[in-house]
Amino acid sequence: MIEIRHVNMVYPNGVRALNDINLNIDRNEFVFVVGASGAGKSTLIRLLGLEFPPTAGKIKVLGKELTRLRRREIPAYRRSIGVVFQDFRLLENRCVYDNVAFAMQVVGARPRDIRRRVPEALEAVGLLDKARMKPQELSGGEQQRVCLARAIVNNPSLIIADEPTGNLDPKTSMEIIEHLKAINIRGTTVIMATHDREIVNALKKRVIALENGRIIRDEQRGEYS
Amino acid sequence: MLIRNILHYIKEAFLSIGRNGWMSFASVSVVAVSLFILGTFYLVNLNAEHITAELESQVEIIAEVAEDLTAEEIEQLRVTVIQLPEVEEVRFVSKSEALQRLKERMGEEWVEGYEDEERNPLPHSFEIRTIVPQDVPVVAGKLEKIPGIADVEYGAGVVEKLFRVGSVVRWIGLTFMVGLAVTAMFLIANTIKLTVNARSKEIMIMKWVGATEWFIRWPFVIEGIILGLIGALIPSLLLYYLYGEAVNWSQTNINFLPLLPSYLVIGELIKLLLLLGTIIGALGSALSVRRFLKV
Ligand SMILES: Nc1ncnc2c1ncn2[C@@H]1O[C@H](COP(=O)(O)OP(=O)(O)O)[C@@H](O)[C@H]1O
Ligand SMILES: [Mg+2]
Repeated sequence: MIEIRHVNMVYPNGVRALNDINLNIDRNEFVFVVGASGAGKSTLIRLLGLEFPPTAGKIKVLGKELTRLRRREIPAYRRSIGVVFQDFRLLENRCVYDNVAFAMQVVGARPRDIRRRVPEALEAVGLLDKARMKPQELSGGEQQRVCLARAIVNNPSLIIADEPTGNLDPKTSMEIIEHLKAINIRGTTVIMATHDREIVNALKKRVIALENGRIIRDEQRGEYS
Repeated sequence: MLIRNILHYIKEAFLSIGRNGWMSFASVSVVAVSLFILGTFYLVNLNAEHITAELESQVEIIAEVAEDLTAEEIEQLRVTVIQLPEVEEVRFVSKSEALQRLKERMGEEWVEGYEDEERNPLPHSFEIRTIVPQDVPVVAGKLEKIPGIADVEYGAGVVEKLFRVGSVVRWIGLTFMVGLAVTAMFLIANTIKLTVNARSKEIMIMKWVGATEWFIRWPFVIEGIILGLIGALIPSLLLYYLYGEAVNWSQTNINFLPLLPSYLVIGELIKLLLLLGTIIGALGSALSVRRFLKV
């Protein structure tokens, strides 16, 4: 599903954030990308989200080579992936339901489909009863669950998450991970950058460890270190 | 799908105009002021051109006929002149007609003693009008070379000066108009930029979930167009009223310099202002939203 070949990323300021990355990720995998701060985790996630192109190398996702995508093909690609951020990025002036519905409205979904899919997505993260609340009225964990609902509402085949538990306490973090696991089991590939040792060790999933922009370890059922 | 999107765009645009009430008000005002000045200038320029043209159309060439020509030769000469491509009209003025005119203009005593055909010192002449006033000097030059024409006169300096002034005025006006339009555009761009900033998070999320660039852009473009249109409507109505008053006033007070009648110019002016308002608004918002859409 994802094929990364000889990818290098050098930022305009000269920092080499990724150095000759080679990776294959299959459909339905759950992958942790781990490493110390500055190892290049976010850079890898952002390349997959098409925030910028790699300096060198090829990235192929869902059969599409990202560096070859034309500008007007980018929206369609983004619809096939769901993104979750560390800092939630919810719209404060809209309620939970509208935040999730927003993701469908702006890609031109039919109102009928929106009315059907949004409750489904909220149900999946256990937030249906809080649909009319504003983000500020929710706990951090609940806010991140709204983001999960928003990420899955358009039925993406891949979820990329950059430290989605970075702002949460351990117990809440485990809840989020359980939801991600459930999403993964229902057929969505999940790639999650984290430096949360407990979570990684608890899940026994594939672990890709980065250090100074290089892959130093890639294990199925791996541990944090 | 399409209609739903359009409704979404328009709703978003009005919502955000409401949200940024003061800034919207400010930018509408600036567009209104700019377009008011521009419209005023347009009317002044149009009338200046009109008056210039009026004056120019009164410029004609007087070609004196040589003394010794027979009536037939004079007729031949007239045909030669009328056949010049630039010439619109040729009128023959006989010696006696010229004297008659002089008498009317200056009084009996001026022509006393010269009224007899033999003693009339004035020559026969042609009064020539060209199709376009700019050709007056050219035609005058050609006439001078025609045998049988003794002397050619026209308001030489006047025509040339009038024309030079006319085109200078036009160029200054054009530059001025373009400058104002660009200023107004940047002001709208700044207003929209505020909206864009206020909604940068929404825009970012839209990008991340795969909204198309135009889906993101349209509400802002429509917002800009609405601001530009309101900004254009105000000076349109104001100028419609004021120009009507000006025409009325000029008719009673300075009727020798007639302004163009309202119905001839105001429709065009309003069309122009609304069009400019739309363009200014659309370009302004496109300018400010572009930066956020860089992938
Ligand atoms: N936008 C940027 N411009 C320049 N350098 C950056 C940028 N983002 C990250 N970096 C640098 O790239 C390296 C990897 O960063 P990042 O991918 O954010 O690591 P991680 O997410 O693992 O902490 C770091 O040295 C960081 O300083
Ligand atoms: Mg990071």
